[in-house]
Amino acid sequence: MITMIDLLLIFRILVFPGFTFILFLSLFCEWIDRKIEARFQNRVGPMVAGPGGILQPLADFIKLLTKEDIEPRDAKKLVFRFAPLAAFSIMVFAMCFLPIDGASILSYGSAIAQSGFNGDLIIVLVFATIANFLLFLAGWASANPYGTISSARVLTQFLGYDIPLYLIALTPAFIAGSLSIGIIASFPYIILAPWAFVLFMITMQAELEKGPFDVPHSESELVGGLETEYTGAKLAFLHLTRNVQVIFGSALVVTLFLGGPSGPVFFGLDWLFYTLWFVLKLVIVVAISSYIANVFARLRIDQVLTGNWKILLPAALLSLMLTIALVTWVYHPFGIGV
Amino acid sequence: MLDADEKTGVTTITGLDLGTNIGVYYHIRTSKSFFTIKAEVPKENPRLKTLIDIHPGALFHELECADLMGAIFEGNELNGHFILSENWPNGVYPLRKDIDLSQVKLVPTPEHETNKSAEGREVKIIIGPQHPALLEPEKFSVTVDGETVTKVEPRIGYVHRGIEKSAESHTYLQDTYLVERVCGICNPCHAYTFVATVEKILKLEVPERARYLRVIALELNRLHSHLLVLGHAGLEIGYEAVFQYFWRDREPIMDLIELTSGNRVFGSLMTVGGIRRDINQEQIPKIKAVINDLQSKLPFYRKIYNDEPTLRLRMKDVGILSREDALKLSVVGPIARASGVDIDVRKDRPYEVYNDIPFKEIVYTDGDTWARMNVRMDEVEESLNILDYALNHLPAGPIRIEAPRTVPVGEAVCTIEAPRGELLYYVRSNGTDIPERVKIRTPTLANIPSFLKTAIGESIADVPSNFVSLDPCFSCTDR
Repeated sequence: MITMIDLLLIFRILVFPGFTFILFLSLFCEWIDRKIEARFQNRVGPMVAGPGGILQPLADFIKLLTKEDIEPRDAKKLVFRFAPLAAFSIMVFAMCFLPIDGASILSYGSAIAQSGFNGDLIIVLVFATIANFLLFLAGWASANPYGTISSARVLTQFLGYDIPLYLIALTPAFIAGSLSIGIIASFPYIILAPWAFVLFMITMQAELEKGPFDVPHSESELVGGLETEYTGAKLAFLHLTRNVQVIFGSALVVTLFLGGPSGPVFFGLDWLFYTLWFVLKLVIVVAISSYIANVFARLRIDQVLTGNWKILLPAALLSLMLTIALVTWVYHPFGIGV
Repeated sequence: MLDADEKTGVTTITGLDLGTNIGVYYHIRTSKSFFTIKAEVPKENPRLKTLIDIHPGALFHELECADLMGAIFEGNELNGHFILSENWPNGVYPLRKDIDLSQVKLVPTPEHETNKSAEGREVKIIIGPQHPALLEPEKFSVTVDGETVTKVEPRIGYVHRGIEKSAESHTYLQDTYLVERVCGICNPCHAYTFVATVEKILKLEVPERARYLRVIALELNRLHSHLLVLGHAGLEIGYEAVFQYFWRDREPIMDLIELTSGNRVFGSLMTVGGIRRDINQEQIPKIKAVINDLQSKLPFYRKIYNDEPTLRLRMKDVGILSREDALKLSVVGPIARASGVDIDVRKDRPYEVYNDIPFKEIVYTDGDTWARMNVRMDEVEESLNILDYALNHLPAGPIRIEAPRTVPVGEAVCTIEAPRGELLYYVRSNGTDIPERVKIRTPTLANIPSFLKTAIGESIADVPSNFVSLDPCFSCTDR
């Protein structure tokens, strides 16, 4: 028996704020990213498809879907086909845990703080790691030296940067005293831990392989990186995975540090305003990330790794210690941020 | 001589067909002079001793002479082909006069090398002939151990068009436009050097105004070439904003080239006896406006190239070429000047009116990619000053004189400072309107050996930025 509640759940998963919404949100953020990049480079960016070129990412996606699909003879076929799709699905699934319209996709109608369960923060971080690993497999299976080297870089980079990412992601969790995304998302922790926000932005930049940490995509050395051998629909899904990764990273920043969907609600339309606030904050984070990517030259892989082990990891540990000290002696005794 | 003067270097080796003998002319550069040592070997047994043990910079020039003229340099034997295509038959030397090119039978092309694992943990990465980092086709097989480069093997000649051979069957007038096609970027330099060499044989005095106009054309060319590579280097290190900005500001320079020559790329300004197009009074303010605009933007660009931290991280201490190596490999142009070797043909052996124009010779001592780019950055400013000076001091008078179509028997060498370094032309005439031999030595051919040296031991990620700092031009290299 399909009940109303089941129908609503299906609607939430497939349409809003689930799959379809995430898809268009990621394409929208790609457009913003491209526009900002273009303005930084004294260009106009996409102009033709839709007002201000807003439909260009969608047009690119559809175009790629219609292109011929070629598989290299030596590629490991199963992994080659399966990895991009799996990475995409996992990223979308991870997005489902974030309270885009005030609640995670699986829990509806509840307040922000009750929308998650204790420990879902760890789950989404693990999903992000798995998706990266699948992207590594995608490049590795394509039997191309450029793809292989690029994959090796993806692996080295995300294994290194995952440690500081987890450590810094725990900062708001410590202050909130909970590992539930819903509880963390109900307060803007950037006020209580601004240093952690800065560190998290930098780590996210590296985790998302955006400039100046975009060594796996450095086209002057590696052609297309792990995408070199991909064509057609598979390439479209690799691109889409990257887009969803980018909005996932930015959404994580929004959730952990900027109070997620919290904000003033009018006319009782809480889902609409929550979504609006969330997307607005998301766009700001994407813009900051785009800014960082554009004002620096790309680092070298060894510089990226040195930066991780020698600078970011100690900084993350220090940040964690500072947070614990503040939480124990300042925040919690005075009831701040709980 | 090498011990007495550290700047002594073999600029190039010209192979000549002298009937029964092969002439091998060594063009030698010293700090004070420039001269040619002539050697002749019989065609049946064209053996010479190699120079590479005492001067490694002769390597490519000897190989080229061996490939095209069939001279054999003992100790530096050629395996396969250096510049000719793989399907060219062995033992057929195209620059010899007794070869009938219509009778040449091509051999089957050997199978192409692909990326593969070399022995053990090393991987061989083929950069080129088609690769996003290369704008022109040339192949470099880079062997890497993890991320470290252990070996670089070049294969040039993918755009060899036989221009030297072709020049031997066209008139001097046609050749002026033919040699212009050696390179898309530095085409006025090629045309100029060719006509200057011919004028040397003819002993022509070019009018003063034409000499100034030629300098203006050459400096506009240097400007656009330097701005091009400064932007392109940004692209190679993933700094696309730099790329877009430099290329935006290169565009007005291209417009000036169009304004003064009528064409954006191939101006075809140079001609034996002068220049083909005058700059009139209305054009001068337009040129000056562009110069002033660029001059006002330069401090910002210089700040980027001097101080930007990530750019420094990627360019500082990358591809260090020591002064000793720079001298030994006889590199030229900005690459030599970045390694502390103060050679600039405009200063050392001034041509046209560079004598009268005050400008600084830019020398850096770091020898790395950063220094090479900053040499160019500073030269952009010097070029703007030269242009400004030349426009202010442009004398009145004719822009060309009548030159005879036939050239008396003789030979001449001429070198100029092209944007990428010293460019050499050797022309030998035989009394007709067709040259006997035209030899072109382009700066990139002299600079590639330095890359083979500096890339070893560095990260594969540094290969593009190191390589682009040479400002390589393969269509020049291959001719």
